[in-house]
Parts: sequence; C-alpha cells; structure tokens
Amino acid sequence: MEGRVPACGWGSAAGGGDASPIRSNRRAGVIVEFLLYGIINSITLSLLSLGFTLVYSISRLPNFAHGALYITSGYIVWLLLNRLGLPYPIAVVIGILATGFIGALIYRFILIRIRGMEISEIIATYAIGLAIIEGLRWGGLRGMTFTLPPFFPGSVILAGVSVDYQRLSIVAIGALTFLGLYLFTHFNKLGLALRGIAQDERAAMMLGIDSDMTAVVSLAIGSGLAAFAAILLLPLGNIVVEAGYSVLIYAIAVCIIGGLGSWGGAIVGAFIIGFAQILTEAFLSSHFQMVVALLAIIVTLLLKPSGLFGKQKELEERV
Amino acid sequence: MLEATELMVFYENMLALNNVSIKCDDGQIIGIFGSNSAGKSTLMYVLSGIILDIQRKEVMRGGERISVFGRIALDGQEITKFKPHLRAKAGIILCPERRRIFPESSVLENLKIGAYLSSKKDAKQNLEYVFHLFPRLTDCIKRQGGFLSGGEQQMLAIGRALMARPKVLLLDEPLLGLSPAYQKLVVDGVREIRDAKGISIIVTEQYARPVIPIIDYGYILENGSNMLAGSREELMDNPDVKSAYFGV
Repeated sequence: MEGRVPACGWGSAAGGGDASPIRSNRRAGVIVEFLLYGIINSITLSLLSLGFTLVYSISRLPNFAHGALYITSGYIVWLLLNRLGLPYPIAVVIGILATGFIGALIYRFILIRIRGMEISEIIATYAIGLAIIEGLRWGGLRGMTFTLPPFFPGSVILAGVSVDYQRLSIVAIGALTFLGLYLFTHFNKLGLALRGIAQDERAAMMLGIDSDMTAVVSLAIGSGLAAFAAILLLPLGNIVVEAGYSVLIYAIAVCIIGGLGSWGGAIVGAFIIGFAQILTEAFLSSHFQMVVALLAIIVTLLLKPSGLFGKQKELEERV
Repeated sequence: MLEATELMVFYENMLALNNVSIKCDDGQIIGIFGSNSAGKSTLMYVLSGIILDIQRKEVMRGGERISVFGRIALDGQEITKFKPHLRAKAGIILCPERRRIFPESSVLENLKIGAYLSSKKDAKQNLEYVFHLFPRLTDCIKRQGGFLSGGEQQMLAIGRALMARPKVLLLDEPLLGLSPAYQKLVVDGVREIRDAKGISIIVTEQYARPVIPIIDYGYILENGSNMLAGSREELMDNPDVKSAYFGV
C-alpha cells in the first residue's frame, strides 16, 4: 500500500491537502499513520459538527445555515487579512465574533417567528445558507486564490510519519474546545441554563430562564464554533464556497449517527466517520469521502433511526 | 400578595376557567382543590405565565386558539402580560405537575439550574436550606434526576423551585402518585418552608385530606368555576366538600 496522506482539506472541494507525501514502507509507519490521521480527521469532523449539535441540542433548531456560516467566517477573516491588512490574531477574533453575531441575528429576526415548526425551520435555515453561499459565489468568492495562512507553519516527523503542526494543533485545540464547552455547560450559570432549556424548555422557563435569550445565545455560540472550526481547518486548503455544502452534510451525518442533540454521540459519530474515511482513502480513493458520510446516514436511519445515543427512553418520567 | 381577578381561559370554545378570582396574602398557604379537568393546572399556568408560552406555540403551529382574560397582580404591580421568565423574576415560581425534573442532570445540577435567578451567595444558602429541608436528597446528590423515585423527584422539584428564591411558590399536585410516607414528608416540608421563610404557597390537589391541615384558606374548583371558598374550618365543616374531597 502506498502511503498516501489522507486529505483533511476541508476548504477545498476535492479535498486535497497540502502535506507532502510520506515515503514510508514500514508497516508500523502505516499503522501510526492510520491512527494519527484517523484521530486528526475525527477531531476535525467533530469540530465541524460541534456548532450544529450545540444549537440543535439546546434549542431544537436544525441550523442548516451551518456550512454557510463556516465559509462566511473564512471569507471574513480573509478580507480582514488581505483587504484591511489586520494582524492575523485580531482578524481571527473579529471573524469569530462577527459570525456569532450573524447567527444571533438569524435567530432574532427570522427563526424567532417560525420556532417550533420543524419543516419551516429547516427550509428557512437552508434558504439562508443557500443565500449566503451563492451570494458569496456571486460576490466573487471563486477559484483557488483564497487561502488563509497556517498559523503553525512547518511539520514534524512522529514515529516515521510526517505531520504538519497545523494538523497537530487541530487535535490539541479541538480537545481544549471540548473541555472548555464541558466546563462552560457544567459550572457556568449561563451554561447550566442552556442545559436546563435543552432538557425541558418549559420547566426551565418556570425557573426564570428566557428561552428566546438561550436560543440567541446558542445560535451565537454555535455560529462562533463554526467560525472557530473554519479558521482552524481552512488553512489546510482553499476557501471555496462548495465547502459550505460539504461541511453541512458532514455535520448532519455526524449528528445523525451519534443521535441528534447528543454531544457525546456527536464525538463518537465523528470518530466512526473519521476512521471510516481514512480507511476508504487508503483502500479506495479520496473521492469516496462524501459517499462514506452519506452511506453512514442511510445505514443509521435504517438500523437505528434515533442514532447511537439518541434520547434515552428509560429516563421517561416516573409517576 | 398575589391577587388574580376574574380569570377566564378558553381553549378554542371550551371554557377552562370561568371567572375565577383568588387571593394569596403574604405568608399564607392556599389550597386549590378539584377533580381532573377542574382547571387546577390551567390556573397554575395562568398564574405562572406558562399559558402565554403555550398560547404562542399553538399560534405558531396553527393549533388550538387559547384566549386568556383577567388580571393578575403581585404586590400591587400588574403582571398579567409578563412572560414566564419575567414572572419568575418577579417572584412567582411554579413547581409543575409531574415535577418535570431535568432527567439527564444530577440532583445537584438540577438545583444549580434552579438557582439561575439567585446570586452566588443566595444560591449557596438556599442549597444548604434545601438539603436541610429534605435530607434524603443528600443521599443521592450525584444521581441523575431521571433515575430518582417519584418521591425524591418531588422533593427535588420543590427544592429546585426554592433555589429560584420565590415570593409565591405554586405547587401543582405535589402529592401525585406519592406513598403516604412521602406525602407526609412533602406536606411537612411545605409547612416548614412557609414557617421558616415566610414564602406564600398555593398548592393544588385532587384529594384534600393530606393538605387541608396546613392550609389557611381554600378554593374548590369544579368545571373551571370557583364553587366554594373558605377558611380551613369552613371547608372541613361543609358536608358537600367532605363527601367529594375528603372521602368521608
């Protein structure tokens, strides 16, 4: 087996990474490579879907504009860097905040009017996503010229496998993000309120928690997380609008496998798809990446429609 | 003091509450008794504002048309139009029927979520008070809310409501499905809350006997109308009430 580097270029449609090919024909190297890139790919997927899961679990809103927000934030940062010449860290912070703000606006002005009608929510968010993505394309976001520089340039050889620092940083930052979200939702008053609303909206209202406020906050955080993922992942490829669609499909696939609304499930789902993709890369071709995600959706819906960790039925109320 | 005057609620054309007025003075325990579909829960939803949320969701779904009339005032301030979270902020906390514990959160977390409106210091004090009031909860502090027994859930629900530092605590059928032993624990707890904290409490029940010893004043609801009202002694002496709500 030729040691082909699995592509993690979430920015580009073809998924071509920029890492140099590895020439390693040792078996151990192949296994390390499989594990390493499997983990990187899985964390990447869970970062991509984190915002989507968060919004759904808290507000029961399927945010189909997730992919569009992802690509928007990349474009905003690119504009700030190249048109305004801002320093990278400042551009990143502004990009995340701006995308979070867009998410909050989407709820405040559109979703608030149709909350509770699932089909309308899907249609509206998808329409917003389409408008953003196609608007960006129309506005000139075409071709392969839009790239963000990696903020950790260079690469390192780990057990005979070459990995660039950007990919390694994804693992570390991804893990820190999960930890941060865990701490936020378990020890912060607002985070606890979000979890209260997620579990029983009306019971939370009775305790003084405003469900419109939590929905705005969840969309802002969810969109901010999409932006965060974009800024981490886009330097591995190009900023192309098509990524908006594929990111959305990956996010949905991960959430359906893990069980909609379950955070732990989303991470498990990301690992299943992540490793499955690396395997198909190794044995078939990188073009099958999307097929893996779509097949996973179909198989999950056929065998266990509620997903691996869908709402626990045994916790139903006791009388 | 909570005062609701001439409350009327329609679900489409069905009259769920018909000209009901109730009053709860500071530090009183008010009992509201009635059979199924008498309008007890609707009354609780109206007082806590949850009816406005139900109404809004029904409008969005194109479902049932719900109309609410009447006035509600807390300490002289009109709160009829307040949304549920604002009523909670004003001090009206509902502990709902069937408890609605957060099933995936632990006992401690349920209480912490309940403390959303309180400051850190208040929350700490109230937490100690809840564990003092219901010592049983200390034994299952880490257990998930959904895995508690019905009685423990009810104590947790009342504790969670207390964490929101209520002025008026609304308890909707707190004894539903509890064993007599747990019923006693809960009823004693309710009395203790009033005595120690001076919180006004409005409690609904189908069966009046376990609750009647602790109430100051009571209302009987039938088919959405207030059929009878009176102090504890007046209700206990009324032969109709005796046969219908005491099982004598």
